[in-house]
Amino acid sequence: MKAVCWHARLDVRVERVDDPVLINPRDAIVRVSATAICGSDLHLYGGFVPGMLKGDILGHEFMGEVVEVGPAVANLRPGDRVVVPFPIACGNCFFCRRELYSLCENSNPNAWMAEKVWGYSPSGVYGYSHLLGGYAGGQAEYARVPYADVGPLKVPDGLSDEQVLFLSDILPTGYMAAENCGIQPGDTVAVWGCGPVGLCAIACALLLGAERVIAIDRFRERLRLAALKLGAETIDYSEDSVLEALRELTGGRGPDACIDAVGMEGHAHHSVAHAYDRVKQAVMLESDRPAALREAILACRSGGTISMPGVYGGLIDQFPVGAMMNRSLTLRTGQTHVQRYMRPLLERIEAGELDPSFVVSHRMSLEDAPAAYRLFRDKQDGCIKVVLRP
Amino acid sequence: MRRKLNLTRADRVGYLVGGIALLAWAVRRPTWFRGGAAGVGGWLLWQAYTGSNPLFRPLGIRVNPRPAEVDAHETIVVEDAVTISRPRAEVFAFWRRPGNLPRLLEADAELVRERPAVELAWRGVRAGRLAHFGSLEFRDATGARGTIVAARLEYVPSGGSLGAALARMTGHAPQRLLAESLRRARALLETGEAPSTRGQPVGPR
Repeated sequence: MKAVCWHARLDVRVERVDDPVLINPRDAIVRVSATAICGSDLHLYGGFVPGMLKGDILGHEFMGEVVEVGPAVANLRPGDRVVVPFPIACGNCFFCRRELYSLCENSNPNAWMAEKVWGYSPSGVYGYSHLLGGYAGGQAEYARVPYADVGPLKVPDGLSDEQVLFLSDILPTGYMAAENCGIQPGDTVAVWGCGPVGLCAIACALLLGAERVIAIDRFRERLRLAALKLGAETIDYSEDSVLEALRELTGGRGPDACIDAVGMEGHAHHSVAHAYDRVKQAVMLESDRPAALREAILACRSGGTISMPGVYGGLIDQFPVGAMMNRSLTLRTGQTHVQRYMRPLLERIEAGELDPSFVVSHRMSLEDAPAAYRLFRDKQDGCIKVVLRP
Repeated sequence: MRRKLNLTRADRVGYLVGGIALLAWAVRRPTWFRGGAAGVGGWLLWQAYTGSNPLFRPLGIRVNPRPAEVDAHETIVVEDAVTISRPRAEVFAFWRRPGNLPRLLEADAELVRERPAVELAWRGVRAGRLAHFGSLEFRDATGARGTIVAARLEYVPSGGSLGAALARMTGHAPQRLLAESLRRARALLETGEAPSTRGQPVGPR
């Protein structure tokens, strides 16, 4: 089959590889009908995530048709149309039973690597480095789906691929980001970053009762989408001081909740071994990119909440811990527990309350993945979200 | 309170000899540089005396000078624990099965002690000689969260503390084998399979 493989920093290629096979009894094989490039894939593309090897198949947002199931999968049959959640979760462990699927203790065969960096290991993730299991991803014609009896969600034929594909990651991620804000009536939520996750977070914050949402970005087309499609107020941080603008817009008090939908991109702050610390710090000193998180903390109303769906991998410096402590701020974060949100969000899509397909700006063939990654990274041609079709 | 030992007897002899040599070299013709060497020598002697190298402490290396097994002169101790969301009897039964006990490479495990649902102890023998011995303790986790398995493994060191430290840093140590053994058991007991990517497609490496 054809698959998008990571070769090196800024180098992905479409390669011919073997078709996936069932490895464990709870596996299924899915023929991919649509797959998307995630903003977090750009962290891999940019070489910011440790534990990538040449030849790794990328992609954790995908859906398709079940073509084969292992002997322990009773709920799926060949022919079923499914969306696959990006965290690989067993459904049986301490965390899965508490619906903290992205913290599954059993799905990462390389847990020891993650433990070295993060203390304990979260769940495995498709196509997201050997630190998170080294699982082959879904930017391919076929994908192997472990624990297929708990992960994949069957979707009705009446909905298009683009309406349901984002149940795999960005819609639940935006939803959990908004949910983590603990929105109360009358609340104002500020969102840093109007990429696909930021846009989903805006939509979900409004759905969960935020009275106002303020969107912060510097790309015109993204701000326009946030304003026109979702009704957010906007701040272009390349033109205005975000802290001053937010202070004015919120009557001198600050937003009740702040969402950092930017994450670590541009921050080379990963370390596998303590020995790299000094190098890492030197690189960090040259970087001003953790600015979004710092700014969100400084901007937030006293007693408010910072919700952090943006992906971070290692360490940051200059963390405004004094503002956190003295102003009773709460920080909530985590990889999304996608399996917890898929079904209720599918119901909202079916009811017409949500339609995340508006984020799609480019539809391309899987073959064009190298160009698509470039386009998305450089934000050329108004690129917001790319859907690839094998 | 006694410091935790992390140097083997052979290590301590080496530190003693090295420390004396550095001091002797420094005393013969004192210079600033040799004064520094004398400082290092003194530090080595202090470590030989205490049996503890502070640089190894973050690595969690522990030497047991008086192992319970008489065949072992001294051992390096590794401990780990796992919580498994299954009843104690079932967890115990898993490890009671042959082949499931944690053991180091190429060693055969033989059961030496068994208290049902409470404790298992074994010896690992390689080429007729004791390579390691260990025990598993089973107890209920709080709040019906399943079973805690506390594992202890002692092995006869080769390469001294430095060897153990290097093995730990490169991820090939018995500590890692023990952790993987516990993790695999949890996965099999909770999910019925061990997570794996062996045999999945990959592009040209």
